[in-house]
Amino acid sequence: MIDLSHLTKVYGDTAVVDDVNMHVEAGTITVIVGTSGSGKSTLLRMVNRLVEPTKGRILVQGRDVLKMPAYELRRSIGYAIQSHGLFPHWTVARNIATVPMLLGWDRKKVAARVEELMELFQLDHAQFAGRYPHELSGGQQQRVGVARAMAAKPALLLMDEPFGALDPIIRGKAQADLKAIQRRTGTTILLVTHDMDEAIHLGDRIAVMDAGQLKQYAPAADILARPADAFVDDLIGTADRPFHYLTLGTLGSAVEPGEADGAPLAASASLYEGLGALLWSGRKAAPVIGDDGAPLGRVSLSGITDRAAQPR
Amino acid sequence: MTTLADAATDGAATPRIDRLGVVIAILMAVALALPFVTFRATRIAAGNGLRLFDALPPTAAAAVGAVLIAALVTAVANRRPSLRLALGALALVALALGAGAAGTHLTPADSPYARIAPGSGFWVGLFAGAILMTDAMVRLKLGPVGRLIALAVTVALVAGLLASGAWSHLSLIAEYRSRADVFWREAINHVILAGGSLAAAVVIGLPLGVVAYQLRAIRDPLINVLNIIQTIPSMALFGILIAPLGWVAANVPGAHAIGIRGIGTAPAFLALFLYSLLPMVANTVVGLNGVSRAVVDAARGMGLTVFQRLLQVEMPLALPVVLTGIRIVLVQNIGLATVAALIGGGGFGVFLFQGLGQTATDLILLGALPPVALAFAAAVVLDAAIEISGRGKA
Ligand SMILES: Nc1ncnc2c1ncn2[C@@H]1O[C@H](COP(=O)(O)OP(=O)(O)OP(=O)(O)O)[C@@H](O)[C@H]1O
Ligand SMILES: [Mg+2]
Repeated sequence: MIDLSHLTKVYGDTAVVDDVNMHVEAGTITVIVGTSGSGKSTLLRMVNRLVEPTKGRILVQGRDVLKMPAYELRRSIGYAIQSHGLFPHWTVARNIATVPMLLGWDRKKVAARVEELMELFQLDHAQFAGRYPHELSGGQQQRVGVARAMAAKPALLLMDEPFGALDPIIRGKAQADLKAIQRRTGTTILLVTHDMDEAIHLGDRIAVMDAGQLKQYAPAADILARPADAFVDDLIGTADRPFHYLTLGTLGSAVEPGEADGAPLAASASLYEGLGALLWSGRKAAPVIGDDGAPLGRVSLSGITDRAAQPR
Repeated sequence: MTTLADAATDGAATPRIDRLGVVIAILMAVALALPFVTFRATRIAAGNGLRLFDALPPTAAAAVGAVLIAALVTAVANRRPSLRLALGALALVALALGAGAAGTHLTPADSPYARIAPGSGFWVGLFAGAILMTDAMVRLKLGPVGRLIALAVTVALVAGLLASGAWSHLSLIAEYRSRADVFWREAINHVILAGGSLAAAVVIGLPLGVVAYQLRAIRDPLINVLNIIQTIPSMALFGILIAPLGWVAANVPGAHAIGIRGIGTAPAFLALFLYSLLPMVANTVVGLNGVSRAVVDAARGMGLTVFQRLLQVEMPLALPVVLTGIRIVLVQNIGLATVAALIGGGGFGVFLFQGLGQTATDLILLGALPPVALAFAAAVVLDAAIEISGRGKA
């Protein structure tokens, strides 16, 4: 989907993005993490040419973006940002319709698409379509921002800290919703964050940036198991690492034969959630059931904690 | 007699009486004590002040006096804004009708040259009533539409009074009557000067502001030059423009034919236009700069072209500030256009300066009151427009 080669951006005499090579698979979520000022936003914004690269090449779906008119490129790529950037003088419906209108869709098709998206993002059409952005909560504004970015069904969606302004609870829900919607639509997402939890939760692959350089680019489990250098290690946080690791596996992978007492746990829940449930209820083991409610066996405390150890 | 300072301390000691009300009441009392109209044998003869009961038949005088006293009492004793508004309005109407009636009552049948003009008491009363009304309107938190309606009602009332002939024996109207056609010609001149220079400033200043916003490099030099123009006194600017425009008229073919002269409308128009540029350009730049960076970034990221961004996003969001610039310019130009008469530019200033030359007060007022009323109406209309355009952009 995206191919970056030798991508570089120089401001003054510092390279804020320094010779980055990266390939993003279609239909996946790739998360760019790094500390503030590491060049994440600059890297992302070069993909839709909000920033012009100093050097290097960007291919999106095989096409060289530097050879396309910038506005045409941007209309084909979704773009969502932290402070959502909704147009304050336009209603929710008009905001969502921005790109379809620019592309000259006919009115009926636009209206139908707006309604479809509002349903997808759990915004009641009758209630919210005619409202102005300042009449929405922060979480609602953020959902409208993402809906607007997806309005013209772009194959690629760029997101710069899209959940940065949300409280932890709404944030977790927004992440889960985004993941579900992405799985449903198959949209390729390139997302910037400085929150490692968010990266591990959302990312099929994670790109770690430091001082303009791509330090490591790998699936989350690999990053956790084999951090490329001290910086990546630091970013993960040594104390949190085993717990991060547990969020990646499901209880289904730790089922052992046998029985246990107490409330059953869902096989689709993460190992992390299972560990929490066992610790809190003071049990050594719990029964596990499938999506259909059928008993699958049990998980034990030691069965879970074994899986938190660094793999070799 | 109670002084202002006394009244203020009284107000502080007994907080139920509001201070502005006390000031209004004092003004009303002064209005009642001062001459209501002045009587002159001819239009430039010395005036002779007549109090309310000397100027009007007893019943009419009593009626006007009663209304003014009621307004006076309300100003100190009643805090309900709607009642204060009503009494302020009533006081103004009573004064207006009273002055007209005095004109009719006092004009001798055999002396058409006698002039009756509103006296100091009338003007002080008018001022007090106007404060009472505007203060009440502020307290009523009248919305933009409400204020527009209030303006429309005021205009309709004044037009009605003028049309009804109730004021036909007042000297100001006599002055108007003797030069009605010139009056309207100069009125049109005035509006063209003020409105036309505004339109030109919008047509030139708005794009200039947009360019200055896009290109940082020219912003500061441009604003500086306009700032310097703004500091030139109007008479000096008229003077400065006489020479180059005279040269253009004499040397550029066709320039003279389209009305370009060293003196007259052309330099006046050009001066007003130059004064208008700074507020237009500066407010456009400030308004565009005020658009949130996230919004501009999103607009770019969505694929709006530079023009689409400007027309669909940046200008609509900058509109309240741009309108504020237009308001400043219009009110300023309506006032400045009066000075244009000095270099033969026409407008209401013609009467004002003629009146000053002849020490004919009524003629001065004929030149001074219309621009004041126009500027006031323009300010009310544009303030309402600014408020309406700013809605929903929080
Ligand atoms: N237009 C610009 N001109 C000069 N320097 C810039 C410009 N834009 C960004 N930079 C610099 O480039 C560096 C990387 O900025 P960037 O916005 O990509 O960081 P980031 O990783 O997104 O940080 P954050 O997490 O704080 O958003 C910073 O040091 C920043 O100061
Ligand atoms: Mg950033």
